[in-house]
Amino acid sequence: MTTKLNSFIGVFTGGDSASARSRRLKVVSYLILGSLAVFYIWPLIMLISTSLKPLTEYLKDPAGLPTAPTLANFAEAWELANFPQYLLNSAFYTVTATAIFIVSSLFVAFPIARDYFKGSNIILTLYVIALFLPPALIPQFQLILNLGLYNTRPGYILLFLINPIGMIIIVNYIKSIPRELDEAAAVDGASYLRYVLRIIFPLIRPAIATVTVLHAIGIWNEVILPTIYLTNADLYPITRGLIVFQGVYGNNWPGIAAAVLMLMLPLLILFMFLQRYIISGLTAGAVKG
Amino acid sequence: MRIMRKNYLFGSGGRWQRLTPLFLLLPGVLLYFLIALGPSIATSVYSFTDASGLKGAPVNWIGFDNYKEFLFQGLASRDNIAATLRTLQFSALVTVIQFTLGLIIAIILNQNLRGRTFFRTLFFIPVILGVVIQGLMWRLFLLPRGGPMATMFGWLGLQSEFLGGQPSEAFMWVIIVQIWANVGITMVIFLSGMQTISEELYEAARIDGASNWQLFRNVTWPQLTPAINTNFLLNIVGSLQAWQLFYVLIGWKPGSQVLGYLVFAEGFGGTDNPAFRQGFAAAASIVLFFMVLIIGAAANKVVSWREQRYM
Repeated sequence: MTTKLNSFIGVFTGGDSASARSRRLKVVSYLILGSLAVFYIWPLIMLISTSLKPLTEYLKDPAGLPTAPTLANFAEAWELANFPQYLLNSAFYTVTATAIFIVSSLFVAFPIARDYFKGSNIILTLYVIALFLPPALIPQFQLILNLGLYNTRPGYILLFLINPIGMIIIVNYIKSIPRELDEAAAVDGASYLRYVLRIIFPLIRPAIATVTVLHAIGIWNEVILPTIYLTNADLYPITRGLIVFQGVYGNNWPGIAAAVLMLMLPLLILFMFLQRYIISGLTAGAVKG
Repeated sequence: MRIMRKNYLFGSGGRWQRLTPLFLLLPGVLLYFLIALGPSIATSVYSFTDASGLKGAPVNWIGFDNYKEFLFQGLASRDNIAATLRTLQFSALVTVIQFTLGLIIAIILNQNLRGRTFFRTLFFIPVILGVVIQGLMWRLFLLPRGGPMATMFGWLGLQSEFLGGQPSEAFMWVIIVQIWANVGITMVIFLSGMQTISEELYEAARIDGASNWQLFRNVTWPQLTPAINTNFLLNIVGSLQAWQLFYVLIGWKPGSQVLGYLVFAEGFGGTDNPAFRQGFAAAASIVLFFMVLIIGAAANKVVSWREQRYM
């Protein structure tokens, strides 16, 4: 395992004994990792340190560490930026849209995976095709506008009720559940609805978790669609709120940094617990080809 | 007419009961047609109209006028074509650098190094943070006066206006942030591909006296084909369509924009001209679509050639 694939860098390290070479390899590896890591850790440290500085100190010395750390920026951003409302909006959009999407997809995915009726394969193909079609941006806007849903919560949620990749992941996972299980349940007299919700749903939890997390993160992070569809500040999700806040308090970077950290925290917590599902979702299908 | 196949075992009851799966499937599929597939197809229709973003405003059929304007109308179309070429430049740079860097990081992290989990997590985290956090973090980091990067540049005797500089300079920094934000995906795809390569292949090659370079060239590279292909396609298609970081990092700045941003700005009033020119934006997005299609198809050719050769 140690030498597996260190080949590429190993090329640059020449002959000598195996142990000397492997030591040198490690040094080179850490040098590369370390110099890259600087650009991942330093911006984060800057963000934290800026958020802890009073504005006056920040203006004098933007890059230094805070001399007298304060949490005042967090309190200020919380109130000034109407944060509680935005967070609540973001949470509402994310939870509602994800829940509707997951439940409706489950009932689309199951009959397709089982090929229950003619044309079920065509439906799946239509989901795949969407990945290659032009963006829906403009007609989608016209649709929402003409339905009278512009600048409303339902209109905004409507945009997030679909996710072709998520659907394909669920279909593929259901296919791995043996059909014998369906037969046994049918013989026992289970109804379709009950079977899908009570037996299949728990069995495909890994796929559901992956799709849920990816879909939810996508909604939480979305900034373009709220810019297009929401003009009423009371409806803003946190991302849009933050961009507007940044526009208004352009030079108050301590306040902005505090706000960014508050937006980041839920994502980091989610990531800590669900890392496995996030990564498996992003690499799904990538390895088998 | 029978709709349900025989393999549907549930619902022994009446005819309606047998159709339960169909009724339950409908909401999801209808939503999909309404919000995604329909609008996607309608984009090409809108590209031949003068649609605006105003409710109830008349929409007229104007033929190829939007396309003519995009390509041939004086100064404005010169900007449009420049944006198109810039999109290609952005995509080429991002794809090459992100692919190479992701591969190097994955090769390093696939060794038995102390701290590999830490580094893998570190490089991956930006992926989940989204463009607002990514963008604001880097705007703070790249402040031209006294910011951390400016300080570091000072030590090295360099100077840059970063995101506030000339359009071409700002453009380069957006490329850097784009790669910084997404190299984590490339890395995890390579890593998961590497984990499927059998250690025995390496052992066998080593017994035959293969050098490290030969191991990479003759074992890793061919065996990694699925992950290489995925990353190649994802990077190309993704970077051709990426523009959100431009929005957060520098906003609408003539001379630094890519096509995706142009679509948004023309359609929703982000340019100097606040009118919503949605027909024109639709035409621009069709241009972008064909670019993705042609380049994607070419990339796919390369990919299937590789598969034939190695698999």
